[in-house]
Amino acid sequence: MALAETQTDVKTFTAAELYQRIVADTPTFIVDVRNEEDFGRWGVEGRNSLEVINVPYFDFIEDEDGSVAKVPADRNEVLVVCAKEGSSQFVAEILQSHGITARFLEGGINTWGNLYDVRPVESNAYGQIIQVARPARGDLSFVVVSQGQAAVIDPLRHIDHYLNVLNTHQAQLTHIFDTHAHADHISGGPALARKTGGRYFMHAYDAIHPLDMLPARIDYNHIVDGQKFQVGHYTIEVIWFPGHTLGQVNYLFTDPDGKSCLFTGDGIFLKSFGRPDLGGRGEAWAPIVYDSIYNRLPPRINKDTLILPAHFSVMNEDNGQGVFAETYEWVLAHNDALKYAQKQDFLDFVLSHLPKFPPEYVEIKRANAGLLIPDEEKASELELGKNICALSD
Amino acid sequence: MTVAFDQTLDVKGAKCPMPLVKTRKAINGLPVGAVLQVVATDRGSIADFKGWVKAAKNVELLQQETVENNGTALYLHYVKRTA
Ligand SMILES: [Fe+2]
Ligand SMILES: [Fe+2]
Repeated sequence: MALAETQTDVKTFTAAELYQRIVADTPTFIVDVRNEEDFGRWGVEGRNSLEVINVPYFDFIEDEDGSVAKVPADRNEVLVVCAKEGSSQFVAEILQSHGITARFLEGGINTWGNLYDVRPVESNAYGQIIQVARPARGDLSFVVVSQGQAAVIDPLRHIDHYLNVLNTHQAQLTHIFDTHAHADHISGGPALARKTGGRYFMHAYDAIHPLDMLPARIDYNHIVDGQKFQVGHYTIEVIWFPGHTLGQVNYLFTDPDGKSCLFTGDGIFLKSFGRPDLGGRGEAWAPIVYDSIYNRLPPRINKDTLILPAHFSVMNEDNGQGVFAETYEWVLAHNDALKYAQKQDFLDFVLSHLPKFPPEYVEIKRANAGLLIPDEEKASELELGKNICALSD
Repeated sequence: MTVAFDQTLDVKGAKCPMPLVKTRKAINGLPVGAVLQVVATDRGSIADFKGWVKAAKNVELLQQETVENNGTALYLHYVKRTA
């Protein structure tokens, strides 16, 4: 049996390569060798051609042949994943010694959890829309650049990625927009404002922690429904969209030709919408979501408005190229959660499709309100795994 | 409660998978019924030892404890060879 301490020629793969394979739907076979408990908490998710099995590395210590046999014989290559790196290298070496081509994930599973993917959504004479995704979490954020100015919508915790985009486009960040007080991830907004001097905006209703009933201790500029901003060629309008939180807003960007896109946050997603219960008031807030979806939003946008949400639940919600944006017309046709003609049917559907309430979401909201300052270890622990902001299937 | 043990294995500083690779080796060298104390610094060893004893046929995990030693946490695992 090969030991991990000896030098071998087993090759590695990176989280970025893994994501490229997932986006392209390249057949990929992953053996996750973490213990069952960690594997059960979160792991690599992809689309159709990604297969993941869990065989803990200590199973290979106890029963090498039996564990190796769990890899189907016809797989061209096995990608091995573990917590840090050592165990996946150990297992990859064992697989290689059994004649199976194997590589292991450089840096361990956290490099997958912390992977950011930057890709253009749209580019024209007026400016660029750039999607900044954290795929393992299903988190989406955006940078809009126009005439050397930039706005960021729902920035995630690792702000270097936005600074790089701004640098690439030689743009000055003037507006940092959070759609709401996030529960699933720590906002990069306040940090980005301190770093760049850009102004940080959110709705005042979300500056009160809904369970603690305590006011936020962060620097923010409050916004109101209908308020307008200008960033380069784009006119930006705030559309209040309460229900997921009381202060959630959508940001409508319109170019001089009247073409528009809407950053919905945890309002409507491409295939679902933001759950109403994370403030602890699901039954009271569900009818508010209904009014936002069916009454507040429709008169303010048109069928060609591009919808850009803050999350995806499954990879297949993308356009096949890693971009999560569709027209409002498309969303209305493909999002079953938006098809309830009767309010009562809608409410019955919503309240019977609430996923579990992750206890750490209360803490994350505290962090976003500045009521708690987590260190790096605490922050990454709070953000482990995929968001659960949408309704369940 | 402290567990009586017959031998101790120091895997401080060792990272996954070495604590368990070495523990398996040490257990194989012990007589049936003997208890091994494993001293680890890898926090992941707690869950890994729990999972490992489910997969392993001739071991039982008697106890796990965490102790402070000069500011570093030590994870102690008491493993008995049962067959
Ligand atoms: Fe949210
Ligand atoms: Fe969210």
